Amino acid sequence: MSLGQLRSVVVSSLVGVVAVAVATLGGRVLDLNSSTVGFAFLISVLVASLRGGLVAGTVTSILATLCYNFFFLPPLHTFTIQEPSNWMALVAFLVTSVTVSRLVIAARRQAETAEQRRRELETLYDLSIELFTATNRVGALGEAAGRALSLLGAREGGLVLFEGSPYRQNVVWWLGEKPDEIEELIAGVGRHKEPLEFPTFAGAEKISRGRDVYLPLLVGGKTTGALVARGTDASLKALVSASRLVGLAVEREKFIEENAHVQALRESETLKTSLLRAISHDLTTPLTAITLHTEALRRMAESDGEWRAPVAGIANETARLRRRIDNLLSMARLEAGKARPRREPTPPADLFRAARENLPLVFESRPVTIHVDDDCPDANVDPSLALEILVNLIENAHRVSPQGAALELVARQHPLDLQQVRMEVLDRGPGVPAGIADAEGNLLAGATTDVAQRGLGLEIARSLAAANGGSIGIAPRQGGGTVARLDVPAAPLPVGESA
Amino acid sequence: MTLAPVILVVDDDPAIRESLERELRARAYATVSASDGQEGLRVFETHTPDLVLTDLSMPRSDGFELISALRAKARTPIIVLSVRGSDADKIRALDLGADDFVTKPFSVAELLARVRAQLRRTTTPAATLLTFEGLSIDLGRRRVVQGGRDIRLTPTEYALLEVLASNAGKPMFTDTIIARVWREAPSTTADTVRVHMSALRKKIEPDPSSPRYIVTEPWVGYRFIAEPV
Repeated sequence: MSLGQLRSVVVSSLVGVVAVAVATLGGRVLDLNSSTVGFAFLISVLVASLRGGLVAGTVTSILATLCYNFFFLPPLHTFTIQEPSNWMALVAFLVTSVTVSRLVIAARRQAETAEQRRRELETLYDLSIELFTATNRVGALGEAAGRALSLLGAREGGLVLFEGSPYRQNVVWWLGEKPDEIEELIAGVGRHKEPLEFPTFAGAEKISRGRDVYLPLLVGGKTTGALVARGTDASLKALVSASRLVGLAVEREKFIEENAHVQALRESETLKTSLLRAISHDLTTPLTAITLHTEALRRMAESDGEWRAPVAGIANETARLRRRIDNLLSMARLEAGKARPRREPTPPADLFRAARENLPLVFESRPVTIHVDDDCPDANVDPSLALEILVNLIENAHRVSPQGAALELVARQHPLDLQQVRMEVLDRGPGVPAGIADAEGNLLAGATTDVAQRGLGLEIARSLAAANGGSIGIAPRQGGGTVARLDVPAAPLPVGESA
Repeated sequence: MTLAPVILVVDDDPAIRESLERELRARAYATVSASDGQEGLRVFETHTPDLVLTDLSMPRSDGFELISALRAKARTPIIVLSVRGSDADKIRALDLGADDFVTKPFSVAELLARVRAQLRRTTTPAATLLTFEGLSIDLGRRRVVQGGRDIRLTPTEYALLEVLASNAGKPMFTDTIIARVWREAPSTTADTVRVHMSALRKKIEPDPSSPRYIVTEPWVGYRFIAEPV
């Protein structure tokens, strides 16, 4: 019992004594009968209990019983212990005292709780205002959370954010000392998503009362961190509410950050798109003009043997440059999301034929045999992307093949996966360079093979094949040379409709 | 033919316009030119060319406007010069009434082949016998001969072949093919066309691995590629 409480009990007891004295004096002077005086004593007990609780009530009850017995119960001026009225009166006074003081205590406790709730609510309100209006960075969040924690009676504690996992904790803000062992507790709260609560360690001298509460920051079923309040006597509800507010604020910070990022991305997308448009126009127009001029040169050089070869060379290289630019633009468009592969059923024979039109010099300079199996399904590909892939593979094969050696183009159903079409380009070149593909013929990732070694063409073919839902492989060919294969999804003919 | 066919070239880039004209003249075509759609329309009215070659994206008045305006008054063949990657533009131009397209940067040989095909379609009177290298189609007797042997086609296959061969060189929309061949069955899908086309190609192509007559035209439909003899 504190000094203040002791004083209050003593004062109330004195008030009781005075009240009993007044009742006794009044009863004697006015010559009231014993029952009436009994009521007056009861009022004295009531007043003392109201003010001073059980102790003052009991003191007053005993005093009132003694006075009642001595002054008002016959035989007067003696203490008659045998008299049953005496006991009745004492019991009545004591019951009154106990009942009233209990009521008073309950009422006072309720008032105190209500006051605490009010303070907590105020704190939460202030916290929400601070979190959502003033702050715009995670550090400020920690300060706001800290102020709220102090207001909620915590003497130690702070805000911890998880970076991907509850075991990677970033202490945003901390008040007082942070013992290492509580990291486990914080992680536990993060994993189980439930608040943890227990009395403050007895060993911690500075924290002598209250309890330690560990609260997860929950947003959308995910824990993003934890709020720790040590040595607090605030209600769990208030603490949970505070943790929810902080959780929301943390989430909001993240959104603001991500939004800025998305904004930047969108701007770069717009830039990419306009760059692409500019590049495709600005490269295509001069190339078209060069092609036309070269054609004029070729016509003029027809009669002049000395000029024919260099002009043909220019035409050849211009065509190659055009194809490369087409490739790069296709890739850039796909990557920038400007174009999606538009797949449709495409007969492999048509793709081979288009490749022949695109590479007239290759097909004129060496024999090329084409074979498409009778039961080969159509490929479900973006025709123009698939053509680019084939053209790249054929160009590669042409580049490494000895002069006059034949190329073979083959299309058939995939031997293992009936849902795929396999197109192959076979050459009699030097075979697969080391470090390009694994034993199964799958291309190795760029880390071990640089683009220069495998050729830009193969790299482009790989990207475009992936965009078509297909894959590229390269394997040694029996008898020397290479088999480059393109596997793409098949578009089988619908059954039951054939003529 | 005594007079050289006149070709109108419409492109906003002078380098392309001039070199195109030079190449066409070198092949004995007469040319006139314009730098945008409006000018193209004026030149068309004064010179009544036999064929129009037009770019699509031009300042002021673009190729689409020109195609619409031309189609409102004439059946003159129009070939569009489109940029790669703008397939939607290409299809829109065909929808508006263009007859064919070449993709920039194009080879001159390819362009000339397209020009010849379009001019032939309009100058040749409707024949009852279509003759291509190795393939002849007798429209009156509904008889098809390939490599000297009679080819037996189902009525649907024959109708497909007739529609494509009488528009040789012109890309045909799958929808157009459906409308002409399956007049009575509006629920016919592209897959149905694909099945019949596949059967037809197996019958008429001497080497199905290297098609000589019919190829798919990406995102449009089909094209009969053989040149008449």
